[in-house]
Amino acid sequence: MIRSVVALFVFAVVLCGYIVLRPSDNGRATPAIGNDATVTRAQTDITLAPVTATAVLTNSAVIQAPQRNTAPGINVPVDNSTMDATAANVLAGLGLNVEQNPNAVNDDPMLRMTTGVLSGIGAITGNTVTTASPDPTPTTALEMLVVQALKEGQNDAYIDTLVNEAATAGTITVPQILVTSDGRVDTHVLLASIITQATIAAGGAAPTAPDRPEGVEIRIVQRATETQQYRFYTVQSGDSLGAIAVNFYGEVGKYKLIFAANRSTLSSPNNIRVGQRLTIPDA
Amino acid sequence: MTMRAFLWVAVALTVGSAVAAQDVALTASRADVSIELNGQQITISRTQDTDAVLSGEFAKTSRPCPAFCIQPVIPAAGVTPAGELEVIEFLQKNMANNTGLLIDARLPDWFNKGAIPGAVNVPFATLSAENPYQADILRALGAAPTDDGFDFSNALNLMIYGNGPWDAQGTRAVQALIAAGYPPALIQNYRGGLEDWLHLGLTTVLPKA
Repeated sequence: MIRSVVALFVFAVVLCGYIVLRPSDNGRATPAIGNDATVTRAQTDITLAPVTATAVLTNSAVIQAPQRNTAPGINVPVDNSTMDATAANVLAGLGLNVEQNPNAVNDDPMLRMTTGVLSGIGAITGNTVTTASPDPTPTTALEMLVVQALKEGQNDAYIDTLVNEAATAGTITVPQILVTSDGRVDTHVLLASIITQATIAAGGAAPTAPDRPEGVEIRIVQRATETQQYRFYTVQSGDSLGAIAVNFYGEVGKYKLIFAANRSTLSSPNNIRVGQRLTIPDA
Repeated sequence: MTMRAFLWVAVALTVGSAVAAQDVALTASRADVSIELNGQQITISRTQDTDAVLSGEFAKTSRPCPAFCIQPVIPAAGVTPAGELEVIEFLQKNMANNTGLLIDARLPDWFNKGAIPGAVNVPFATLSAENPYQADILRALGAAPTDDGFDFSNALNLMIYGNGPWDAQGTRAVQALIAAGYPPALIQNYRGGLEDWLHLGLTTVLPKA
């Protein structure tokens, strides 16, 4: 009996001790919460502050890989061709020579320099050599497919179906920026690029950036020294990086600006996803 | 007394004008050299101001290296080194009879600021294999395309220069040509380049725009 009373007493003492000690734990925990809050705020600040290019690149190394692997949808086979080259080759296949465009020569410093060298040598030696620049010809399966369809006079919808069927079957590869958020091929941008190049080649004006791109979200970030404006765009179903570039800058080639600014969340230009929020840098 | 002083002045004037008339010549036997290139008369002489010194870009002694390192006189085995007299002789012989070309291997913005008379601007970058139009330049230099490369048996003799002993543009041009198969025996390298040329007060020209 006495034993059990003693045991009960000891238990009570231990219990009291535990209860007494707990509030002091809470007391210690309070500043800890405070610390946590500070850390969280610091992190929030970092996220809100404009992220430098280096920081983005460092982050991308860590974050990229799993996202790329879990990207859903159909895998459109891509290649490293550029839109300009693809469009030029398609035009060449249609018998339209984009090479005669003087802007194209000016855009290639090596060709420009070589032309100067050849005329310099020719003036002295009388040995006139002209640049046998590589003529654009349709080389990829995509280019040949589009050339064929355009020659047949098919409409845009037909070409879209044709290209997407071929891409799904894996018989063609496409430039990365033509892959849409839902894993299709953006033939609209491809056809628009071809028309743009043909227009420029024919002496027409280069396209300009649209005044008010649709679906843009503008955020103003105020810092101690400056106020900066950031533009964001949330990827919609059917968007490709090329289409977004046309929407914001008026030309498909500027997708590089968007890609560079979003390297932390965008592993490659063909990996954009519906709902993804992209930073749109100023041109 | 006054007569004597007058005489001294006269003597001094005579000697002085004699010195002025005695040009800063190219060599002991030649004051200058005139060459006709494609119907155009080129004269190479030296600045006659004996107090002239270089200033500006080509007066620098210590450009940072790497970037502007001391270049070899012979950038590749079999290439012949050359100085100013060899350059002038090359202009007189090879260029005048269309068997050679004096090549300014610098990028156009350098060339346009002043070059050796008669030189043709062939920037080193255009000779590199990375230039997709390199073959066109080799053809212009007299190389004949064959099934497996080029036949250089009718290719021109070349004299190549850059900005100076610290400038790799000439070196890179020579090495690019040899990498493309150009026979080293046809190549002379003027390492002194524009800097040494200017240092001797030799004639430069502004290329026609």
